[in-house]
Amino acid sequence: MSRIVMRFTGVGGQGVLLAGEIFAAAKIKDGGFGVKTATYTSQVRGGPTVVDIQLDDKEIFYPYAIDGQIDFMLSVADVSYQQFKNGVREGGTIVIEPNLVHPTDEDRKKWNIVEIPIITIAKEEVGNVITQSVVALAIANTYTNALDEELLVSTMLSKVPPRFHELNKKAYELGKKYATEAMANV
Amino acid sequence: MSATREVISSGNELAALAAVDAGCRFFGGYPITPSSEVMHEISDLLPKVGGAAIQMEDEIAGVAAAIGAGMAGVRTLTATSGPGISLKAENLGLAQMAEVPLVVVNVMRGGPSTGLPTRVAQGDVAQAKNPSHGDYKSITVCAGNLAECYTETVRAFNLADRFMQPVFVLLDETIGHMHAKAVIPTAEEVKKGIVPRKTFDGPAEEYRPYDVPQDQPAVLNPMFQGYRYHFTGLHHDAMGFPTEEIETCRKLIDRLFRKVEEHKDEIESNEEYMLDDAEILIIGYGSASLAIKEAVDVLRAEGVKVGMFRPITLWPSPQERLYELGQKFDKILSVELNQGQYLEEIQRSMGRLDIAKLTKTNGRPFSPSDIIEKVKEL
Repeated sequence: MSRIVMRFTGVGGQGVLLAGEIFAAAKIKDGGFGVKTATYTSQVRGGPTVVDIQLDDKEIFYPYAIDGQIDFMLSVADVSYQQFKNGVREGGTIVIEPNLVHPTDEDRKKWNIVEIPIITIAKEEVGNVITQSVVALAIANTYTNALDEELLVSTMLSKVPPRFHELNKKAYELGKKYATEAMANV
Repeated sequence: MSATREVISSGNELAALAAVDAGCRFFGGYPITPSSEVMHEISDLLPKVGGAAIQMEDEIAGVAAAIGAGMAGVRTLTATSGPGISLKAENLGLAQMAEVPLVVVNVMRGGPSTGLPTRVAQGDVAQAKNPSHGDYKSITVCAGNLAECYTETVRAFNLADRFMQPVFVLLDETIGHMHAKAVIPTAEEVKKGIVPRKTFDGPAEEYRPYDVPQDQPAVLNPMFQGYRYHFTGLHHDAMGFPTEEIETCRKLIDRLFRKVEEHKDEIESNEEYMLDDAEILIIGYGSASLAIKEAVDVLRAEGVKVGMFRPITLWPSPQERLYELGQKFDKILSVELNQGQYLEEIQRSMGRLDIAKLTKTNGRPFSPSDIIEKVKEL
């Protein structure tokens, strides 16, 4: 496998960190190397947050994604979308929450911009907004095909309390469903 | 080969785990970004092994509590960031003077003052050498990858007890917060390597804790075990009581220097990466070395013969090795996330000023391409 580089962006408090940790942990369980870094501001909530994930079969020294090499980005806040979009390579995929993120027409020419209402799905269809990071996880893996789904889901479940397993499984399934549909609609 | 285990963790969490595995049983501190996870983690771990962690009312009290535990004879830790070291400075001087072992994890962020709390810097390298007024020899180690957040913290505890003084472990925001795989020694392996501080077990009336050879630290028995002596920040005599006697005062500070300087070989630790056939030398430490290694790999693939020297022990500096490298290499680049705090030490050790530098102080990390570009300019 060549290196897969992903970036999740939002604002502090949305819980974008967790998806990154799950990806890295699952890749490591698989015998490879995974690194997650998070960058945030001193604002506790509302500051732009970015999580970089790199997955590789070879050792990764430098922990941050290098601008221009990002294959996939997911964004649930406009402030961080605008700040971090330029790290995505031309033709790369950016999944956005269309209610909150507003790309320009030029952005749409440069990148494969996909609109999936991640927060609405988590809030209304799964029933708990906290599950948005798992919805995001499913979307990211569907697009990048980075990891074996079973491994990723079991890693995710190992990080949530048992009483929330069903809820998070549902979140994963819905994320996968929406991503698969979006991919088919291109 | 020693037994290892694979963990998925962050640098801060690994430093906390290392402390507990190395026998630390007390933590005193105050939370500060980007070091807070050290305190979070150790607050979970210590009660499970019969230890205690306390959040004090501020940074000063945090280190004071930790020093108190050290005086009592317990392996003790505090964790903070640069602004916290500024506040703790006076008490760190007390620990140097009274010879109280203590490990201080400093997860560096941008400064001076409040700076850039959530962003990376290596701005506390000069501070670690001399946080407090007066003359003493700092022992400072600096982790350059996740595994070293663990192994260097373990080493720091053994060094603190060997030399009876505070030992700094420098991490930074990048390495403290990055989350990935690390291969570290097992807890049993670490336990086997623990070398506790020396104690005196003769009759109490013959015990003279500060009456030791000029190249050795004080022998401080744990408190409350029948051996009486005095702790003070004043110049002191063999029993720890204040004195202004001329020769005693001279010998005390001379000994604080010599106990470290004459045993540097027990402290020094470096990494040399692709150096054997290199024509260009890059010197860097801490998280900057992650970008340097990646840059070295890219440049090597392009046929540029470049290598890295990374001091793991920053203070005392590896001055003899730096001198040799300065003789061997024509083109040398120093890379640090400050304005060149260690560059001055490199220049001094090498006895030359023509060292190229790449520095950054805007809270952003170096990317490998920053380094590749600079090397090509040399």
